Amino acid sequence: MTDSVTDQKAASLDLPTAAIEDLRAKIQPFKEDPGSLLEALYAAQDSFGYVPREAIEMISEELGYPEAHVYGVVTFYTMFYTEPQATHILRICRDLSCHVNGAAGVIAAAEKKLGIHSGQCTENREFKIEQVSCLGQCERQPALLDNLTVHGSMTPARVEELIDSLRDAS
Amino acid sequence: MPEVLVVNRNLQKDQSWLLETYRRDGGYEQANRAVKEMSPEGVIEVVTASDLKGRGGAFFPTGFKWKLVRGDSNTPRYVVANGDESEPGTYCNRFLLEKDPHGFIEGMIIAAYAVDAHIGYIYIRGEYGLAIERVREALRECHDAGILGDGILGTDFELDIILRRGAGAYICGEETALFNSLEGKRGNPRFKPPFPTNSGVWTKPTTINNIETFACVAPILEHGAEWFKDLGDGEDNAGTKVYCLSGNVRRTGLFELPLGVTARELIFEYGGGMPEGRTLKAFKPGGASAAVLTADEVDVKLDPSIMQYGTIMGTGGCIVLDDTASIVESAYRDALFFEEESCGFCIPCRQGTPNLVQILERILHGEGSMDDLDLLQSIGESMASSFCGLGQFAYRPVVGALHKFRDEFESYVRGELPVSA
Repeated sequence: MTDSVTDQKAASLDLPTAAIEDLRAKIQPFKEDPGSLLEALYAAQDSFGYVPREAIEMISEELGYPEAHVYGVVTFYTMFYTEPQATHILRICRDLSCHVNGAAGVIAAAEKKLGIHSGQCTENREFKIEQVSCLGQCERQPALLDNLTVHGSMTPARVEELIDSLRDAS
Repeated sequence: MPEVLVVNRNLQKDQSWLLETYRRDGGYEQANRAVKEMSPEGVIEVVTASDLKGRGGAFFPTGFKWKLVRGDSNTPRYVVANGDESEPGTYCNRFLLEKDPHGFIEGMIIAAYAVDAHIGYIYIRGEYGLAIERVREALRECHDAGILGDGILGTDFELDIILRRGAGAYICGEETALFNSLEGKRGNPRFKPPFPTNSGVWTKPTTINNIETFACVAPILEHGAEWFKDLGDGEDNAGTKVYCLSGNVRRTGLFELPLGVTARELIFEYGGGMPEGRTLKAFKPGGASAAVLTADEVDVKLDPSIMQYGTIMGTGGCIVLDDTASIVESAYRDALFFEEESCGFCIPCRQGTPNLVQILERILHGEGSMDDLDLLQSIGESMASSFCGLGQFAYRPVVGALHKFRDEFESYVRGELPVSA
């Protein structure tokens, strides 16, 4: 395995074989659907919260791609991760419409509340903050996504409340 | 001008996204009529006569595109719906995907019949969670009802439509990058020519159209080409456009208006103007890629002719800036966006976008020089040689802002304006 391109690049979970076998079963339909690599990667990420090295190896084997191709695809798209992430990824828009309506204050409030910088996870991996490109929710600027759930018309106070309510729910 | 609901006609209905709701008001009757009573050439003729042009921002004539695809003898052919809507300030496709998925799917079916395609793809950006759910469910409803599958609508025409999700990459809205993405590759653009009409998905003839473009098709067949043309501004433009408003404006939202409405009408009549006590400073007519226009230019028409003012109509995502907004900061936000979204494939874009960001940061922090302003200009010029439209447009909001608001840039350099944190 030392010659594998993914060896030093994607984190390994030391996954139990059974977890990878579950995923192997889940991605079988994609063999019949040419080009569905991104869907297979979504399946991996749904299982593990990121795309671990073992999943890249297995997917490349099952779908017949070189590992370098699969790794190249994983790292091209910002919504795929090669490292463990947090339960809640807060994707906060930092583009123009949100910015002129106070997005910077929302980002600063979230960072302060969680004690982390954008791009980081909290130590318990409950939250991560990402500053992202336009989310297409501009009628409710400034907007953010908690994973894929939209929260609009954010203010510093509202983002603090959101974090509290997500904590309470977990 | 009154708001004219064609594309958005179903959005306000209760449970508008369900097949049952869509069919109650004549949904899929135009697809049914097309596949049973019209020839593919006849469909293309009507769409061509309607003067429908691509709503994604390129305004390429839709009927002509379909004719080119049909005219290529290479098979199989494909039909693709571009729902990768990621241009800052743009969200009109999202409303259609979430609230009226059957509206554009009907347009896709008519297009597939016109170009003789038997496989379609819908590509939706990965961040649009609800849109993806609704479209997936709509496709399932269509298969169950015999609207898609083997022998659609009781004919022997076969059509399957496959949903594909993006995963966070603006560049995949570029048609050839989108093809690569839905083929399971990195979303780098391809060289053109060959154009998608000859070499699209799987290098086969492909018609790729925006969600809004497809949503125009069934109404055109129902009411006729002349009706659609007359919906425009009565001059050069046919049909409506769903404009999106955001930024410093009282009412954000979608406004479906005759294509060619003026920015003044959109911003002041529909958007309610500026927040209390503020005045209009500038606006970007079509998302991040569009260069900023000044308040003095607010009477321009929001249509492709806006190019004469050095900007673009783009997606119709109009971002409004009032007198509290900093133009340098707005140029910086656009530069950041393109730096993040550059795919890294070609050097002018990969290197140019971070260079613009660095220089604008210097200027914003009060560390810029007058030479930096010339540097922005010359880097911009070099980026014009980028491989695809992303890089060819990425510098224009920066250089455009510099041309229209040079005094403000110079004030930052002289340290006369509040310096950003």
